[in-house]
Amino acid sequence: METVIKDYISSELVRDPALLPVADETSLLESGILDSLSLLQLVVFLEGRFGITVGDADLLPEHFASVNTICAYLRTRQPEKQAAHG
Amino acid sequence: MAYLLQRLLTEAAARQPRRPAVAADGGVITYQELDALSNKVARALLRLGVTRGDRVGILAPKSAASVIGIYGVLKAGACYVPLDPKAPHQRLSYVVRDSAAAVIVADDERAAQAAALLETDGAPQAGAVVVTSSRGGHPDGQADAVVVAPAGEALIVPWTAVAAESAEPLPEERSIESDLAYILYTSGSTGTPKGVMISHRNSLGFVEWAAAAARLTEEDRVCSPAPLHFDLSVFDIFASCLAGACLAVVPDGVATFPVTIARWLEKERISVWYSVPSVLTLLGCYGNLPTFNLSALRAVIFAGEVFPPKYLARLMAELPHPRYLNWYGPTETNVCTAFEVPALRADSEPVPIGTACANTEVFAVTSDGDLVSGPDEVGELYVRGPTLMRGYWGQPAKSREVLVQHPFRAEYDELVYRTGDLVTQDRAGNYLYVGRRDAMVKIRGYRVELGEVEAALYRHPAIQEAVVVPVPDELLGSRLRAVVTAVDAVRLTRESVLEHCRQWLPSYMVPEIVEFREGLPRTSTGKVDRAGLAREQQPPSDPETSGLTSVSR
Repeated sequence: METVIKDYISSELVRDPALLPVADETSLLESGILDSLSLLQLVVFLEGRFGITVGDADLLPEHFASVNTICAYLRTRQPEKQAAHG
Repeated sequence: MAYLLQRLLTEAAARQPRRPAVAADGGVITYQELDALSNKVARALLRLGVTRGDRVGILAPKSAASVIGIYGVLKAGACYVPLDPKAPHQRLSYVVRDSAAAVIVADDERAAQAAALLETDGAPQAGAVVVTSSRGGHPDGQADAVVVAPAGEALIVPWTAVAAESAEPLPEERSIESDLAYILYTSGSTGTPKGVMISHRNSLGFVEWAAAAARLTEEDRVCSPAPLHFDLSVFDIFASCLAGACLAVVPDGVATFPVTIARWLEKERISVWYSVPSVLTLLGCYGNLPTFNLSALRAVIFAGEVFPPKYLARLMAELPHPRYLNWYGPTETNVCTAFEVPALRADSEPVPIGTACANTEVFAVTSDGDLVSGPDEVGELYVRGPTLMRGYWGQPAKSREVLVQHPFRAEYDELVYRTGDLVTQDRAGNYLYVGRRDAMVKIRGYRVELGEVEAALYRHPAIQEAVVVPVPDELLGSRLRAVVTAVDAVRLTRESVLEHCRQWLPSYMVPEIVEFREGLPRTSTGKVDRAGLAREQQPPSDPETSGLTSVSR
């Protein structure tokens, strides 16, 4: 899961090669990799790739601070896969 | 009374000294403090020899410190030039050299970055950096004479020295209303940014109209997330001051997450918001707005790009009580038309840019030279009035291309501005935006000249040919796709091309898609076939088709 997400972020969202490689603990917010619109791209990717729905209330800095926190958040979401609302 | 922007501050400070002027970084400064601290900055600038008409850079994000710096520059009789702290060194260095700014006002954190921009490779006078801050607590009137910096290096005047200057009002105004108040650099089609010169009179014409149109009062808490180099910031910095309202700055990081913006709007009781539509689209779709108490928010103003009607309708459904205002105007004219949005359906047409602001005249001219007077005709929008720029800094020829004789009124000695925007007019007399006459696109509300991006690509030693085509995008306005060919089959990578672009362009101008080709497609006349390149692309980023379905769920 970490690798899939890192690959996506590295190839689709990072526009400053100085920020590569993206590590599990790289701060996605302080580095400027995520802003309001790239965050949305990432959410769409995560929803498609992992079959979950990220609710409005979950779109929070604590969940999207790094690849680590994204994965931790996704693990809490995955059991609800069947109950995902569209 | 002197018709000068800094007078808005001295008058507000005299009228209501203890009311909040700027709320930022968890602190608040009052009008009295803003007035006093900016007097100190002005004196520090005068001590360095800054005089009327000089250009002074401002290197800082929007903050209490930078607002103090801006008013300090104006009180010194000088003209401020915002430098985007996030832009690459090469671009900032170009702006500093082009505007011939010898002094930069920077916050503590960016003093070294500012000094680096002023270095002159050993020439004796490299300019100076004046540090600005909102920290008080220093004795007045005990400033020492400025020491001399080593050759080639910029002198840095620390905040302790600035704070030791007198806080008393300056004895006289040092500028007149036709002097430049600021120069805003915007993307230039020939490869380098161009500076839009705005005088006090130009700016105040807009500021007075805007404060009245938004019905600002001293009770308001006004927020615009636009940075200082973006002309939307003129509204919150100066119109707030005219009304004696409080300017609130969105903290770093808060703006990334719609829910955190919504929470911040509630906590700060923001009453007037002014931004580009994309931020509002995200807020409407992901802000979970009904769960917050945003009753204080009474006006939502947007400008800079077209607001897709389905997202505007959604925002208005989530948040029905504020007034919604669509303002239009290139940096060169300030806002020149406005439209108050009535109830809207998701399947409505895009909202009009409206009718001319007070004291301004707009009209549109078809390619045949006729006046546009109805829905069947499309023409270029022209603007006349007091808010028009004085021209592009140091580019009289370019200025003459856009500031022209009135096409129907040869007897007018006043020039009119050709916007390059194509419009039509509805039956009620409102203008509707149709598109551009040239190769300029909008990305997140920022103007991007495709020619400037191409010029940056051509600076790459291994790129033989480059063309940049916009990919329409509902949320961003446009994405940029670069199609390049390499010199002598050199192997180019996306990373090396992006890294190169990053040195010359702010991140919103760096192409997202880089495509390598053996050769570029040509038209029968041998020109690069831009239209063909634009046609071959899928519309990959329309939220309806690309999987961004959650936006419209």
